Amino acid sequence: MNEEKTIQLDRMRFTKNSTAANFALLAILFDVLYFISIYESNVGSWYYNILMGASILYNLVFMLAAFLCSEGIKNYKVSYSYVMLLLGIIQIIRIFIYPMRAKAATVTIMEQPVIVMGAGQFLRCVVYLVLSVACLIIGAVIGYSRSRALQAHLATLDIHPA
Amino acid sequence: MAQLSVQHIDKIYDNKVQAVFDFNLDVKDGELIVLVGPSGCGKSTTLRMIAGLEDISAGHLFLDGKEITQTPAKDRDMAMVFQNYALYGHMTIYENMAFSLMLRKENPNVIHKKVLAAAEILGLTSQLNKKPSQLSGGQRQRVAMGRSIVRNPKVFLFDEPLSNLDAKLRGATRREILLLHKRLKATMLYVTHDQTEALTLADRIVCMSMGYVQQIGTPLELYDAPANRFVASFIGLPPMNFFDVTVREGELEGRGFRLPLSESEKGILKPYAGKEIELGVRPEDVSAGGDIPMKVFSNENLGMNTLLHGNIKDGDKLSAKLRGWFDYKVGDNVNVIFNRKHFFDKETGEAIGRGKKA
Repeated sequence: MNEEKTIQLDRMRFTKNSTAANFALLAILFDVLYFISIYESNVGSWYYNILMGASILYNLVFMLAAFLCSEGIKNYKVSYSYVMLLLGIIQIIRIFIYPMRAKAATVTIMEQPVIVMGAGQFLRCVVYLVLSVACLIIGAVIGYSRSRALQAHLATLDIHPA
Repeated sequence: MAQLSVQHIDKIYDNKVQAVFDFNLDVKDGELIVLVGPSGCGKSTTLRMIAGLEDISAGHLFLDGKEITQTPAKDRDMAMVFQNYALYGHMTIYENMAFSLMLRKENPNVIHKKVLAAAEILGLTSQLNKKPSQLSGGQRQRVAMGRSIVRNPKVFLFDEPLSNLDAKLRGATRREILLLHKRLKATMLYVTHDQTEALTLADRIVCMSMGYVQQIGTPLELYDAPANRFVASFIGLPPMNFFDVTVREGELEGRGFRLPLSESEKGILKPYAGKEIELGVRPEDVSAGGDIPMKVFSNENLGMNTLLHGNIKDGDKLSAKLRGWFDYKVGDNVNVIFNRKHFFDKETGEAIGRGKKA
């Protein structure tokens, strides 16, 4: 390993993993945009009400979890990479829970058939969730690789992170 | 490193108050100069003018022969260490030390090397991941110094860096600064009001009062041959004793005592025959024995020495630092002798026969 690479690794002892942490924060941002987009839905039945209510509750949990991941991964905690990966997988699943079910579905409001989620709204929701997933996976991969690299480097120095 | 030349510098504020009068100083490469004086004497103002933080009203400033009088502070290649440390509380020690170099967009790997090297010099390697609030005052001051070291400036400026530390830590940090100076061989200007710091740190001391330079010299010169009454009273702890005396034929006549003059003293004081002058005697130049009567009103045992305060019979106050442990009681009479004398012109305050052993 050349000297430049060694110094680069050594720098991680004193600098935060901001890149991975910022990806986690970006994932939260896209989740918020998704969150705003689903509010445009025309909810006219208990079924979609419950789906949306669950989605709102999960959003709160997701934001908290993603923020904690951002902080953990910033400090090269490898376990938070796994949590981020898990959050990413759940975000993929979410595409099939609400947007896919609401897409082009109709409900009756004031005795008129109304589409729950139009094509444009569906596309936006899916794009935001996919972007959120991408950020989480990229953040998790960067976090994992840097944390492992730092651990290996610390092992060569025979010291532990402060 | 660098040579600094300060020529005829004045500082006049907008309200016409003049803080510094005709300041002149040539700082040699690698020299540690200490500016010392009481509060308000213009020492910090002078340092800030050199740093570029205050405008220079008149005069010229040269660094390595190049005039920098009007050069902005950021381009002067000087680093300043402040009394209050001026660290960023939300940054780690590493980030604090690296910050100035990051602003200059230096290579992160180069910054890393410089920060680690500075931390090693200052013994901060194990503290680099901490925040300033987690460090002691002495450690924070070392971080402030480290931030200067990483920049590798031509001149280091210290503005009362130890004032916020307790006495014990001040002594330890003072020694660290001295070691740092020896290690870096850097040109340093250090401002303090503490004469102990000045005497222990300086290659040369600039003693200031009321905006004027009173004397520039080595610590020994200032202690042993003060240029005037102010320097004599300011340098030395406890301060010098002063007595109004009249120069008589072969002796000095003070209130409550008479002192015979040696041949060299007679020569020095010849122009003052029959006139009143001021006699200065350092407490450490007073010893027991002799024929000057002193009535004790305070006896302070300092371990190795005993500090006596008292009055000469019918005369002035006198402090004496006697070698050894004495237990004089209040009201005891002790006869003392002055082993070394300093003479000052009563009107001008200038030393008489300066540099000549009396």
